[in-house]
Amino acid sequence: MRLMTLAARNVVRNWRRSIVTTGAMAFAAAIMILFASLMAGLLRDSERNAVTMNLGDLQIHASGYRDDPDLYKRIDDAQQLVARLQQQGFHASQRLYGFGLAAAGTTSAGVQLRGVDIDNENSVTQMHRHLVAGEWLTETDPHGVIIGRKLARSLGVRTGDEIIFVGQASDGSMANDLYRVRGILKSIGEEVDRAGLFMTLDAFRQLMVLPDGAHEIAVLRANPDSDLDLALHTVTALAPGYETLDWRQLSPVVARILEMADVQTIVMVIITYIAVATIVLNAMLMSVFERIQEFGVMKAVGVTPWQIFGLVYLETLWQTATAATGGSVIGYAIAVYYQTHGIDLSNIASSASFGGIALDPLWRAYITADSIVIPVLFLFLIAGLAVIYPALKAALIRPVSAIHHR
Amino acid sequence: MDTHTHIVRLERVSKIYHQGKIAVHAVDNLDLEIDVGDFCTLCGPSGSGKTTVLNMIGGLDVPTSGHIYLEDRKLATLNRSQLSRLRRDRIGFVFQAYNLIPVMTAYENAEFVLRLQGQPETQCRERVMAILKEVGLEGLEHRRPDEMSGGQQQRVAIARAIVTNPAVVLADEPTANVDSVTAGALLDLMQKLNEENNITFLFSTHDQRVMDRARRLIRLRDGKIEYDDVRSLPG
Repeated sequence: MRLMTLAARNVVRNWRRSIVTTGAMAFAAAIMILFASLMAGLLRDSERNAVTMNLGDLQIHASGYRDDPDLYKRIDDAQQLVARLQQQGFHASQRLYGFGLAAAGTTSAGVQLRGVDIDNENSVTQMHRHLVAGEWLTETDPHGVIIGRKLARSLGVRTGDEIIFVGQASDGSMANDLYRVRGILKSIGEEVDRAGLFMTLDAFRQLMVLPDGAHEIAVLRANPDSDLDLALHTVTALAPGYETLDWRQLSPVVARILEMADVQTIVMVIITYIAVATIVLNAMLMSVFERIQEFGVMKAVGVTPWQIFGLVYLETLWQTATAATGGSVIGYAIAVYYQTHGIDLSNIASSASFGGIALDPLWRAYITADSIVIPVLFLFLIAGLAVIYPALKAALIRPVSAIHHR
Repeated sequence: MDTHTHIVRLERVSKIYHQGKIAVHAVDNLDLEIDVGDFCTLCGPSGSGKTTVLNMIGGLDVPTSGHIYLEDRKLATLNRSQLSRLRRDRIGFVFQAYNLIPVMTAYENAEFVLRLQGQPETQCRERVMAILKEVGLEGLEHRRPDEMSGGQQQRVAIARAIVTNPAVVLADEPTANVDSVTAGALLDLMQKLNEENNITFLFSTHDQRVMDRARRLIRLRDGKIEYDDVRSLPG
């Protein structure tokens, strides 16, 4: 009989203990696969939201604008630059920013005024699809504006209500006008939610007396799988004299969290598996101590210490392989369910954010090869480490005392 | 000294155990030779050292001093793995409590050592079936130990011990756990294997029935040979 078969029979021999041990390992593997998939989903949504909800892949600003967002620090040749970027296959859109006060009835709030090029913005971000109420901007309604959801709440306005904007135009005059709330955005990010007031680029230029230029050009790669660093290099070359940054530089917290995501998952896997390791260690020690006499006899008939060591390892391998298979199937099935249906967090929190980036309240899992392979590999690694001591114990048993062990 | 006929040789072998601060001389400066084809019994009262001698010959225990040779190989020069291989290839063990592997059938228990040697399955099958027939277990090869009587289990243990054609079979109280009829049958079997196949048997026993069958009776007392009697027995 081969050691592999003998190990399998030894596993079945004390089936209750084997079921508990294997079940605990399978449960942990399933949970870790689900956790890794949910984390992958969270990170994927975070990255996608960061890019497609507001930032774009890259942004171009006049030098020093990000540190001091001055109305006068503009990209003067913004129109031409957008055209050049589009010729190179990028999606690009001009944006203008201003600050002022919005009032509705007796309530007022500080706002960040945003002028967007609605033709191009729709190809760079998905903001126009992210409305909780009303419709997106249109050139035919220059006095229709879109506002953030928290701003709408603090002003107490709904779609169709009127708000007044007051600010200072670029020529020093008072910029004020009456607008109608055309739409209210879903959660985009804290800054937009709390203070975002969007209008068309032309309406902004007219209100703030800014006939040309832009404060920001948001750029999106046509192929999201293409190299971001290469895109940064290309766009920087196309916009000499301006500051070009990618979304990782624009939102370093999210970028850092994404970079650390795999490490976080592995740490979580290890912590969970330490509990599994104690179960494996305990089960295998019990199994070895119950069979001391048997190991003694095996050694007496010529089984080498390494073969005994291998036998105990094979017994754990059988259980781990069974647990990994079962855990993978169960974990994968649950992850598929949550990838399809997601976890609805809207009852817990009306808006969720991750690193300042708003997330869809429906948290979806995202199954990747890593989200299955990493938990399974670590299950084998941890079980393999946990069984070293029991296996050595069995291998180094002195046959003369083991045979007479009772 | 002519070593060719001696399958086992002990030279001034001592074994001292320590029980607390007291040193117990289990075996005391023992010289002994066992010849090829011997049917030899170590007897003596409890604590006389007979099991210790058996264990040391089998490489399961090491002497405190002196040297043990099995087929002229000095056991002290072998490491753990070499000792394992020596036991696997040249020594058969029969224990008082049968000590079969409970998850294996009679066939698999008997076959186990052959498979450890790496022998091909077809060759093993032929050999094991022949041995099981020889020990009277034909038809019971698929039974597990818990499905067999004590006598049948001890027959499996004997089959396991002799299946590799060992140089010597070391049997520690092989009849202690079986009734007298079964004990008689087991001794008949071992005697037959000794006579027909020239397998050397070395017993450690208190059992008078075993002593009566032995061609050589070595009585130990306090780790020393009290007497060593070579007898010629009928049949």
